[in-house]
Amino acid sequence: MQLLKKLQNAPLLTSHKIKLAVLFAAANFGLILHLLQGEIKPLHAWDWLDIAGEGGSAGLLLVWLWLLLKSRPAGYVTNLLFMGLGCLFFSLFMDVVDEFVALPDEVRWDGWLESGPMPAGFILLTLGIFHWHREQLAINEQMRNRERLFREHRQFDKLTPLGDAQYLRKQLALALHEAEQARLPVSVVMVDMDGFSQVNREYGHREGDRLLQVLTQQILLNLRQHDLLCRLAGDRFALILPHTGERQAQVLADELQHSIRHLAYKSSHHGERLHLSATAVAAMARGDDAETLLQRLTIAMAKAKQMLEVRHG
Amino acid sequence: MAEQRSWLECDTRFIPAHYQPVTLIDLALARGVNEHRLLQGSGLFYDDILRGDKLISAQQFICLIDNARQQMQADDTSFLIGHQWLPGHYGAASHALRHAGNLLEALERLVRLQPLLSPLMTPRLRLDEHHAWLCWDDSFGASPQSVFLIEASMTAVSSLSQWLSGQKLPWSFYLSHAQPRYIEQYWVHLGERLRFGCPRNQMYLPREYLLKPWIDASATAGRVAEQEGLDMMAALPAPASVLDDLHDYLVAQIRTPLRLEQIADAFAMSPATLKRKLKKHGSHFQEQLDRARAAVAMELYLSRGYSSEDVAEYLNFSDRANFRRALRRWTGFLPSELSTWLG
Repeated sequence: MQLLKKLQNAPLLTSHKIKLAVLFAAANFGLILHLLQGEIKPLHAWDWLDIAGEGGSAGLLLVWLWLLLKSRPAGYVTNLLFMGLGCLFFSLFMDVVDEFVALPDEVRWDGWLESGPMPAGFILLTLGIFHWHREQLAINEQMRNRERLFREHRQFDKLTPLGDAQYLRKQLALALHEAEQARLPVSVVMVDMDGFSQVNREYGHREGDRLLQVLTQQILLNLRQHDLLCRLAGDRFALILPHTGERQAQVLADELQHSIRHLAYKSSHHGERLHLSATAVAAMARGDDAETLLQRLTIAMAKAKQMLEVRHG
Repeated sequence: MAEQRSWLECDTRFIPAHYQPVTLIDLALARGVNEHRLLQGSGLFYDDILRGDKLISAQQFICLIDNARQQMQADDTSFLIGHQWLPGHYGAASHALRHAGNLLEALERLVRLQPLLSPLMTPRLRLDEHHAWLCWDDSFGASPQSVFLIEASMTAVSSLSQWLSGQKLPWSFYLSHAQPRYIEQYWVHLGERLRFGCPRNQMYLPREYLLKPWIDASATAGRVAEQEGLDMMAALPAPASVLDDLHDYLVAQIRTPLRLEQIADAFAMSPATLKRKLKKHGSHFQEQLDRARAAVAMELYLSRGYSSEDVAEYLNFSDRANFRRALRRWTGFLPSELSTWLG
């Protein structure tokens, strides 16, 4: 467990070690150069406003750098952003040092150290943000069927790469509003595994969790461009289908049931096949709000499950 | 009645850490929670749990629940551990449940072996003409975590009965808290027969499910295990929590005038000691009395079909206005609202 955690956190900072070392060395080099050539100013000559302003900005840039390196995997875009922010930091840091150290008039290089990296930093940062934008478009494509229009990381599900019930409610309210404006139908499909608690009891929670992650991928593969999949709770998923009538939604629900029945899932421990089946119900919005629509589906789901039990004794 | 008795209290160490607490610990660790943060302030160390002889108190368990909830920030924690709580791995007590011949036997064993099977929440079973009722009460006053414990306990019983009977049983749930934001968890883990804002926490189902035989059970093994479970109970520091004993006593004496002094006497302690014990569990005498009266009133309404006049008379209220006020305090409903609720 401990090891796993270390592995998850470690590479993010270690892979940036060299970058941080270079920045640290450059800042030190500038400082030493100033101290070698100049004299430390007497206390009454310190301009506190400048010190607070420039020092504070340099400090905040360090915070940005730290957040950037902690959150982003290494790569082209990260390097650009790092170099941009690093140049800005260096330039501001030299400004701060300048407040404490008086250089003789014949020294010219200090102006270069203060003002040179600034435009370079801005150019690098701009390039970085531009490529970040391109990267985001690529990620959005990967997030297709899992996210629509807006992102709220607090509403990510903890287990599957999907939005949770709160995200679903928000998106459903939005979709219902859109549909009403455009006078187009919108449908919702609810999918629930049969006998999922049995899997948890017999194979343990980890297997159950893994199965849910596999199922998520399986369901995603069956969706159209604009459908949105969320995890409602436990082994129950909900799908928002914009511009879709009830009959078409029912077709998709049936397809999902078939696709899950044919999924040859193997347990992680002994690799034996688990025979899976799911119940999927569909409903079209008929002027109801998100909550009543979900409730209607829940009752339909309960009825479908009862039928299942009657059929199988 | 002056003999010296002892009770389980919120700081009595009687819950084996590798019983119910470990299901929560395992789930939290599997979800990536830091072990140190999870056990922080609970006075527990992971190595102690592994040794298998560590006993913890209700307070420590509740602290653990609190930590887990804060660290996991998930709405389904209570339901997920509920699925694992029963029959669980608690030695003979679990075997006794596992080999119950039918639902009635399982519920009776759950009630009888409660400190082993459900140490923080006490189930009480009641049968009437049409339904079997299982009412849940806090054993130690866990108020901030009581919703969590109710969710886990109700899930545990419904999941156990589904597993052993091989079908989803039509349990209905009355919950005393307001409908939470995460209602979908209730739909998935408990079902859609839910009512929130009720006078008591209880679940019920039609009587016909009680005696349907469960095929995999071994009657003899079950009976032996139950006896072993009762022996395990006898080895506990005390057989029941002080709140539970008081509740049962109050319910039994509900038609007589009840005063703190007289009850302290029956419990062989001074009124000051009784007050102190109740305060320790975050409660006071009047609250316990109201709880007992609410329990009796709900039984009369739900199981015996009493009208408000009958209930008032049964509980020796001569004045109507007085009864209205009292009922409001016990259950949150006026008599007229209650009859709509019942209807």
